[in-house]
Amino acid sequence: MVVVIIIMSAALPNKFLRVINFQSMTNQIPEFGLLAIAMMVTMITGGIDLSVVSTTNLTGVVAALILKNMITPEMASSQTFLLMASAVAAAVALSIVCGIVNGFVITRFGVPPILATLGTQGLFLGIAIIITEGHGITGFPEKFLFLGSGKVGGIPMPFIIFVIVTFLIYIFLNKTKLGLSMYMVGSNPTVARFAGVNNSNVLLKTYMMSGLLAGISSVIMISRVNSMRPGYGYAYLLQAILVVVLGGVDPYGGFGSVLGVVMGIIILQVLQSGFNILAFNPFFKKFIWGLMLLVVMIINFFVAKYKQRAKKLGVST
Amino acid sequence: MRLFEQIRQYNYKRALKYNETYLFFVLIVFGAGITIINPTFLSPENTFDLINSSAGTAILAIGVFLVLMSGGIDVSFTAIAISGQYIAVNVLTAAHVDNLAFAFLVSCSVGIALGAVNASLISLFKLPTLITTLGTLSMFHGGLLAFVGTKAFNTGDLPNCFKAFGQASLFTLTRPDGSMYGLSVYALILLVILIASWLILRYTMLGRGIVAIGGNREAAERAGFDIVRIQYFIYCFVGFLAGIMGIMHVSLLRYSNPNYIVGDELNVIAAVVLGGARITGGSGSLLGTMLGVAMIVILEKNLVLIGLSSYWHQFFIGLIIIVGVSITYYQNLRRTNQRVVFVKE
Repeated sequence: MVVVIIIMSAALPNKFLRVINFQSMTNQIPEFGLLAIAMMVTMITGGIDLSVVSTTNLTGVVAALILKNMITPEMASSQTFLLMASAVAAAVALSIVCGIVNGFVITRFGVPPILATLGTQGLFLGIAIIITEGHGITGFPEKFLFLGSGKVGGIPMPFIIFVIVTFLIYIFLNKTKLGLSMYMVGSNPTVARFAGVNNSNVLLKTYMMSGLLAGISSVIMISRVNSMRPGYGYAYLLQAILVVVLGGVDPYGGFGSVLGVVMGIIILQVLQSGFNILAFNPFFKKFIWGLMLLVVMIINFFVAKYKQRAKKLGVST
Repeated sequence: MRLFEQIRQYNYKRALKYNETYLFFVLIVFGAGITIINPTFLSPENTFDLINSSAGTAILAIGVFLVLMSGGIDVSFTAIAISGQYIAVNVLTAAHVDNLAFAFLVSCSVGIALGAVNASLISLFKLPTLITTLGTLSMFHGGLLAFVGTKAFNTGDLPNCFKAFGQASLFTLTRPDGSMYGLSVYALILLVILIASWLILRYTMLGRGIVAIGGNREAAERAGFDIVRIQYFIYCFVGFLAGIMGIMHVSLLRYSNPNYIVGDELNVIAAVVLGGARITGGSGSLLGTMLGVAMIVILEKNLVLIGLSSYWHQFFIGLIIIVGVSITYYQNLRRTNQRVVFVKE
């Protein structure tokens, strides 16, 4: 990561190391950072959640509708606040429901997570499209925008939310029983089962959690952009997977840490803003992200192979 | 009488175990429903039109079916199809060549080359298929737009061979008002590919290898199947099919836009899983896949007819995938649970 930052600052000396650049970075990190962490949680259990962006869209649309249709400027501020809170609550609750749908299909019917979440990806996005008829919803109360673009002591509000949530997930994965069970299910489901772990229960909670994280991300998203349109943020799916793989999470399950993923997020964001300064066109960026994902996975393959060989040598001597 | 006897002796219980049977009945009920609302649905003209427009999807579905059979998944095939199409159109216009065979050659070569990229990543580095093909989807499509171009080709700019190919018919019928319509050559292409894939899958060592990898990779390897070679075949074959589909697509639309096709992955995958193919491998049939394609295409074309706006399309595709895979895997789960002793969780 340090290498990337140094290269970027050396290549773009006047533009890169500016406070405003870092501030805009901290603005963009939370949205896809939360999605990446949602992806990480599912990958630790050996699954994947392709529906994160669709969950974000659906919950975002519902929250946006509540904000747009129920709040009028003449309302008392306490009432506005209450409705805003209920919009956020509705988004979060709905995102958990989305997660439960995923978890239910995966655990009760034994559907592989890839196919289950591929289906719900279409399903959730489809519902969002039906609700809005494909149009965007714009213009929310000014106070609500504070969540997405406000600042506390110079630090953007979304970034504060992101740090708190990430910290909680870190504690959860490392210090709780459920967190440990998730790693166990990911590295070997059969062994976990014999060790007394209720696999279905763990998986259900995992997908609830990834849904919840996507919901929080959607609240930040709609309040930062001040609009919601179904289909928004589809590039985030690939980026989230890229970040998670970059952060050293094993797609086959069992390994990965929040710290690694946070590193991955920062690397990606640094590159992203570097590309923006260099004014790359979006197609070229799409190409780079795909290429990078593949290169990182190949490097991981060789690293694992090298480690294995080193271990074997150690045993034989 | 003998036929009657045969029908009576047919093992219905066995037939009920197959997804295809259910799908077939759902399709008939669905078709009947649409015919009641709109009697022209079963007219030869409409049927030909359906076959014509679904041939491309069906060809892609055959490719995806093979990948699923081997226990993998491919989402990059749409990017391969559009790359093949767009590069072929570019090459033909730049070289002032107006030859359909050459177009197919270019498109299929591009398809096979990109398929080989997928295969190399998946077989040599043992990367997870979904994430790999998600990466290559982004890479192929981004690369196409960044390095080849973003300009769309209008009907006037297209070489004539495409237009002729898009209108070529096997035989033609005459409408009451004197104009002609016919069954497109697309039906023949689809049939040839379908039979070829079926023969490969059923009667060659390679085909049995594909099924074997899907069933149990370890066992297939120990039985002496060359997994790397088989995976190369699968992904190159998908690329090849995508190349063919790319040319068919441009010929039908008479318009080439590098942003088309990409984004339709879900439709094709929905058709395949609806046909009963399991990603955990080794089961499913080409017949089921074709029924799945028919179902998806008919649904797509007739949503408006049922009285639902096109906004419902995405929703139904998602719903179909969820319901389809749930049924397939639930049967599987119940079967294994009957065998396993420690079912109580």
